[in-house]
Amino acid sequence: MSQALRMSQALRIAVAGNPNVGKTSVFNLLTGARYKVGNYPGITVETREGRLRGSSSTAAPILIDLPGTYSLTPTAEDEAVAFRSLTGADSSRPDAVLLVLDASNLARNLYLALQVFELGLPCVIALNMIDLARQVGVAVDPEQLEAALGIPVVATVARAGVGVEQLTRVLDALEADPQTALQPRLIPPGPEHEALRTCLDALTTTAAAPARARWLLAAQAAGNLELCKASEAERARVDALEPATVDRALHELVGLRYAEVDRLLGSLGFVEHELVRDGRTASAPAMVVSAKIDAVLTHRVVGPAVFLLVMALIFQSIFTWAEPVMGLIEAGVTSLSSVVAELLGPGTFTDLMTEGVIAGVGNVIVFVPQIALLFLFIGVLEDSGYMARAAFIVDRLMARVGLNGKSFVPLLSGYACAIPAIMSTRTISSFKDRVVTILMIPFMSCSARLPVYTLIIGALFVANERVLGPFTQGGLILLGMYLLSTLSALALGALYKRTLLKGPLPPLVLELPPYRLPRVRDTLRQVWDRTADFLRDAGTIILAVTIVLWGLLTYPKVDEAELAPGETAIERSIAGSFGKAIEPALEPIGQDWRIGIGLIGSFAAREVLVSTLGLVYGIEDADDDDAPLRDVIRDAKRESGEPRYTPLSGLALMVFFVYACQCMSTLAVVRRETGGWKWPAFMLVSMTVIAYLAALLVFQVGRLLGYS
Amino acid sequence: MTLDELDPGRRARVRAVTGRGAMTVRLLEMGFVPGVEVALVKRAPFGDPLELRLRGFHVSLRRAEARCLEIEL
Repeated sequence: MSQALRMSQALRIAVAGNPNVGKTSVFNLLTGARYKVGNYPGITVETREGRLRGSSSTAAPILIDLPGTYSLTPTAEDEAVAFRSLTGADSSRPDAVLLVLDASNLARNLYLALQVFELGLPCVIALNMIDLARQVGVAVDPEQLEAALGIPVVATVARAGVGVEQLTRVLDALEADPQTALQPRLIPPGPEHEALRTCLDALTTTAAAPARARWLLAAQAAGNLELCKASEAERARVDALEPATVDRALHELVGLRYAEVDRLLGSLGFVEHELVRDGRTASAPAMVVSAKIDAVLTHRVVGPAVFLLVMALIFQSIFTWAEPVMGLIEAGVTSLSSVVAELLGPGTFTDLMTEGVIAGVGNVIVFVPQIALLFLFIGVLEDSGYMARAAFIVDRLMARVGLNGKSFVPLLSGYACAIPAIMSTRTISSFKDRVVTILMIPFMSCSARLPVYTLIIGALFVANERVLGPFTQGGLILLGMYLLSTLSALALGALYKRTLLKGPLPPLVLELPPYRLPRVRDTLRQVWDRTADFLRDAGTIILAVTIVLWGLLTYPKVDEAELAPGETAIERSIAGSFGKAIEPALEPIGQDWRIGIGLIGSFAAREVLVSTLGLVYGIEDADDDDAPLRDVIRDAKRESGEPRYTPLSGLALMVFFVYACQCMSTLAVVRRETGGWKWPAFMLVSMTVIAYLAALLVFQVGRLLGYS
Repeated sequence: MTLDELDPGRRARVRAVTGRGAMTVRLLEMGFVPGVEVALVKRAPFGDPLELRLRGFHVSLRRAEARCLEIEL
């Protein structure tokens, strides 16, 4: 590349670091929180890119935020992404690396630093949380560290913005220097590292760069060579190595790096091992206060109680606190519709605008309060350090399904709404486990099923009849539906985990970081990112499907005069004809074509079943007050004079709704989170089949037992 | 003995990391290398996982994972 070209091109600086070191805060401060959120190709690990704020150059350096990782060895998705970005496996290699290290926890943080040094890229270190390190007496002198490593070190306190200006200056002064870029720092193996030497000798001739031999070796030991994008020749060489030698070589390699960490810390006046050996209990100085908090929060009895309380709070907030705002949005959409209807006058275009476009936009933004609230809570829990404790407490229970504790919050949130719940699975690091959790979530009985259950119980059962003490028939049936949904989600999750998405029990290896006050601005920014993400990616699909569904339920239009007595316009629509066409399939589960039309309508959202059935029976505004509809359903008779719907058919319909994926928004979000239509398609088909079979079982067994 | 057999509040030194694959690599890279001091801080409320302290930080491992770590007192 010519010098002139280089001048005009912005430097690309990757930001790497362990989780929980304040990397996001540093990135947000350096970019002024003006960044683009994107995705790494093919998977859903997020990438963020932003320009350095306050740069003096016309082409301000671009900062690329990598996922927080403890290592660059590709053992899981996050590490693989960091590794591939830094080595340029997917696109061009960055020009430099900003390493964010936790000054209060250097003994572990330096391990990643040594791996990054092996890449041969210019580095700058942000020695973050230096205040905490000084407070607990483990702070290294930044100048000493700089001298020991030979690269610029800037002490920062990202929470308070300390050191950011200096860091900006240092980064701004970086130049793409091909000389430094060619000098990877590799720790040479000693004569005692026999296995490592054997492996490196065998691989160095094939691997393009000497550092690459080490990555290939580590990836092979982790069983993830494919994540390294190894060439045919490399693969052949690696596979020719004795597995036992590879394992031993990796032990030696990691040991070598940690020996270097200890040597570095020793030269800076820190002897980690001696600190432990003189029997002082405070061998984790940064954790002293947190250990006291944990005496309560992970206490044998109090811990689970606090956990339940926190979960109840989250659940309550998305279940009920979001309700008033959602009500406002719905009311706003309704009044906007009537204003537009008035302005445009009656006509097809008006209907398209009000019942298609405006209703569609309403269907999208109605989710925003729940998504924002859930991510606000998750952000606070993650940043404060409590989320790790929650996973610690609940891991034992989730391990039975084959998942780790991180799946708990998404599953719980599923009781309120699958949309934010599915989006919150991003905290799960393994893609397979994330998909298992995503597939489980829509089975959790979400709040949109309630109006459906209420309608059916109200119409076909004696809801208020006391059955057992204070319990009524309606209450027990409702409880039964929730139990069925929960048990089914857990059972299917366990099944998927053992078959379709077979994988080992995800390792826990979960850091319990020191408790910290979350930085409000970072949390709010995260809430906004997630919400914007939903509006952009899932919102467009939801809007489009709303318009299509409106068309199906409206066309072809018929003149009211043409309708037979008792017939409604919706029967003549495409959806109406379809409902009638699938009636033979619905009869075995105790339903008729009217329910069939309702099922098509309810694909927009489950509760739409109520208003669609209202249209079928010619009742306006059934979603505001379902009493008239309940009466009609209860009294509806077949031609033979028998009741059209019975408690048994009602039960079958409810069971159908426990399992069926009657929610386009869920599918839109799953597509967004899994990066394609494969999983949403699987979800739709499998859930519909399960729903049908379950309803069939209920109805047919019920009939055999003599119920009608 | 292995790390899962350690009593809460006790310390030990890692002697060897057994097993192979991603789990072993991860344990090593988190700092569980032979010679390092580890303390078992506590067990989770339901008995599993374990909270451990090493190299100045706290990390949680399942007992099955801790079984890969041979220790000496």
